[in-house]
Amino acid sequence: MTSLWDNPSQAETVGYSFHPSTSGSIREHSFYPYTDNGGSTLGIAGSDFTILAGDTRSVAGYNINSRYVPKVFKIGGDEETSEGANIILSVVGFAADGRALKERLDTIVKMYKYQHGKPMSVKACAQRLATILYQKRFFPYYVHAILAGLDEEGKGALYSYDPVGSYERVQCQAAGSAASLIMPFLDNQVDFKNQYIPGSGEGLALKPKKQEPLPRETVEQLVRDAFTSAVERHIEVGDGLQMLIVSKSGIEEVYTPLKKD
Amino acid sequence: MDKLVAQYTRPPHQNEFYSEQEQRALTETLPPLTLKFDLPPLDNSPAFLRAMTDDHSNPDCPIKLAHGTTTLAFRFQGGIIVATDSRASAGDWIASQTVKKVIPVSRLSRGEDKPTDAPTPGLLATLAGGAATEIRHKRRITVAAASKILANLTYAYKGMGLSMGTMLAGMTPQEGPALYYIDSDGTRLPGNLFCVGSGQTFAYGVLDAEYRYDLSLEDALQLGRRSILAATHRDAFSGGHINLYHVKEEGWVHHGFQDMNPIFWQTKLEKGEFSNVTSEL
Amino acid sequence: MPGFDFSNYNRNAALHARGAPLPKATSTGTTIVGCIYDNGVVIAADTRATSGPIVADKNCEKLHYIAPQIWCAGAGTAADTEFTTALISSNIELHSLSTGRPPRVITCMTMLKQHLFRYQGYIGAYLVVAGVDPTGVGLFTVHAHGSTDKLPYVTMGSGSLAAMSVFESTWKPNLDREGAINLCAEAIKAGIFNDLGSGSNVDVCVIEKDKPTQLLRNYMKPNERGRKERNYKFARGTTAWLNQKIISKEDMRKYVTVEELSANVDLATVEKMEVDT
Repeated sequence: MTSLWDNPSQAETVGYSFHPSTSGSIREHSFYPYTDNGGSTLGIAGSDFTILAGDTRSVAGYNINSRYVPKVFKIGGDEETSEGANIILSVVGFAADGRALKERLDTIVKMYKYQHGKPMSVKACAQRLATILYQKRFFPYYVHAILAGLDEEGKGALYSYDPVGSYERVQCQAAGSAASLIMPFLDNQVDFKNQYIPGSGEGLALKPKKQEPLPRETVEQLVRDAFTSAVERHIEVGDGLQMLIVSKSGIEEVYTPLKKD
Repeated sequence: MDKLVAQYTRPPHQNEFYSEQEQRALTETLPPLTLKFDLPPLDNSPAFLRAMTDDHSNPDCPIKLAHGTTTLAFRFQGGIIVATDSRASAGDWIASQTVKKVIPVSRLSRGEDKPTDAPTPGLLATLAGGAATEIRHKRRITVAAASKILANLTYAYKGMGLSMGTMLAGMTPQEGPALYYIDSDGTRLPGNLFCVGSGQTFAYGVLDAEYRYDLSLEDALQLGRRSILAATHRDAFSGGHINLYHVKEEGWVHHGFQDMNPIFWQTKLEKGEFSNVTSEL
Repeated sequence: MPGFDFSNYNRNAALHARGAPLPKATSTGTTIVGCIYDNGVVIAADTRATSGPIVADKNCEKLHYIAPQIWCAGAGTAADTEFTTALISSNIELHSLSTGRPPRVITCMTMLKQHLFRYQGYIGAYLVVAGVDPTGVGLFTVHAHGSTDKLPYVTMGSGSLAAMSVFESTWKPNLDREGAINLCAEAIKAGIFNDLGSGSNVDVCVIEKDKPTQLLRNYMKPNERGRKERNYKFARGTTAWLNQKIISKEDMRKYVTVEELSANVDLATVEKMEVDT
């Protein structure tokens, strides 16, 4: 049964606070270093661009910590202005782990540029991020990361990670608390899953609608529709939508307000 | 007295920041060759890891890792067939339907990973070890040796919480077609035929019934495909695509990464199998 | 048979012990408030119902009728607030018929607390009871375990702290009708925007001496959904199918009555549903 209170166990056990527990037995306090800060992120790769988006709400239980905590970061750019960055990273889950991960990757990408005199490729950066995550295989970062950029051919590249570094290049990916709401929508609208070409055949001959990279305008509309819909049905998503778009002209940032309830 | 105090007093913030060495490791562009894992500040770190990530014993665990699979490999007269599904599940969530679970270790032999979370680093280590051996001995590493390197590695981490079941398949002049099963317990077994993962029982059901060593290549590929199909049909943690490989002495050949759904309907409608699935109204 | 049926209790406890998850009840996460004024009382509620982190209903009604001049705002387990208030409403009606007098708020509150206390908190209803009766204006809170409070302004639910902060900073004695409505609506809005368990719209109910009670459903709508940017209509024939069977109108007539509707008349036979476009 869903309880009203943040801590259900409090409501369920009848405790009398004026009789403090007198038993002197050893109490074990378990080590629990994680908090779920909620929110959701989503990435879609196009033919010559990639979009990474995330809502900007940070939560703890039923409380809002802040209405503007970005989840999408530029990697490897100038300290102040982020100029020169060509890779973006989104992290959702435990915000502190996400921040630590971002700082670490950012440092490594910068060091690479200083040592080799050229920017790190997205492919290399993706592999390096996997090893950073896997290094903490026994004490994981509580995050679902998505990395985006442009590959060697200038095509949109998107990499999705599990918390310990298992990764894969994908066309689109949703992560975070509303992933289960957004991902089915993306499967249908970006990969055209369960869509067939009307009248292309009968029974087995019916042809599935072929997946092809979508134009930027369409992708931006899909991202905004995905988030406004997620806000309707998920309590941890809202306040603002931050979209970062990598293309050959650089990284563009777009902010759209979302509902605040 | 002052001397004693000085001896046992440390500056209050001595251990608060990263040491110089740690700082260097943090900014290192290349990952360390030996995996220096970070551990939680606890006596019993495997228990912590289990509490945080084992969704089998605790479905509400905070960190859900990608798991689940069906994979198989079998030896036959023409080499080795390796077949896998392509699904990764995190708890009851399908994390991906397009995972490449077969990892080429070299152009000639292949390692193959199953119900593993981040599998690659483990196998890359074998690769590195294998490459070193190849260089040292000026000939290709045997499958037996490569599998032993991997088994030694997993045995070294036994009980720490690694989770993997893998089959290493390869063909060398000394061994012919060779197949080994290696898992995170440190087990290493040679054999003719293995199915690994959450759907292994369903795959074994088909594979054991139809398997012969003298299968033709065509029949062997079909059997591998059909076994995985059976597993994707009955195991909720398997699905997506069917990935087929044939390993021969000259190297390996990829026989497709095909969506499982049309294969299922084709098998049903054209061959009359899966008669339990009806479309009657 | 009156009361609850416990016949599955042992079975469900055994299943749960073996790892089967308990079904999730819809909780009305909720902010509810109440405030008295010179000649009456106002109660108000948000309209979000949640199931875990998912919004189960974006526009539910949390203000429940007890008697013409007594209303209840409910937080906690949705089913419990609905059935408990319906039960007490029924008993109050019978009681008023039997005594031949208008029901009193304190009677309603006493019946609620005795009912809830008997079930030791297992009926998860957290209520704000408000009304006007011959003895004057009444405003109470009733907790699921059976404790009650009588105050000039009250809040309950997960957004109670946010709402109370509005009351504590801006409430003043001798409010008039408009003042009380505005104050309650502001308090609910604090809950809607600062508590994740509360959201969507503000419902208000005004009960005043010698006046008909007013239920101001969706008094404020501060969270309307914007238009979607794309059209998600599928071309006919997009979905694959295995088999088809056509049931003609003639076949249908064998089992149900079929009435012909003219296409352009919007018939009022069915209550209109809100549909997202």
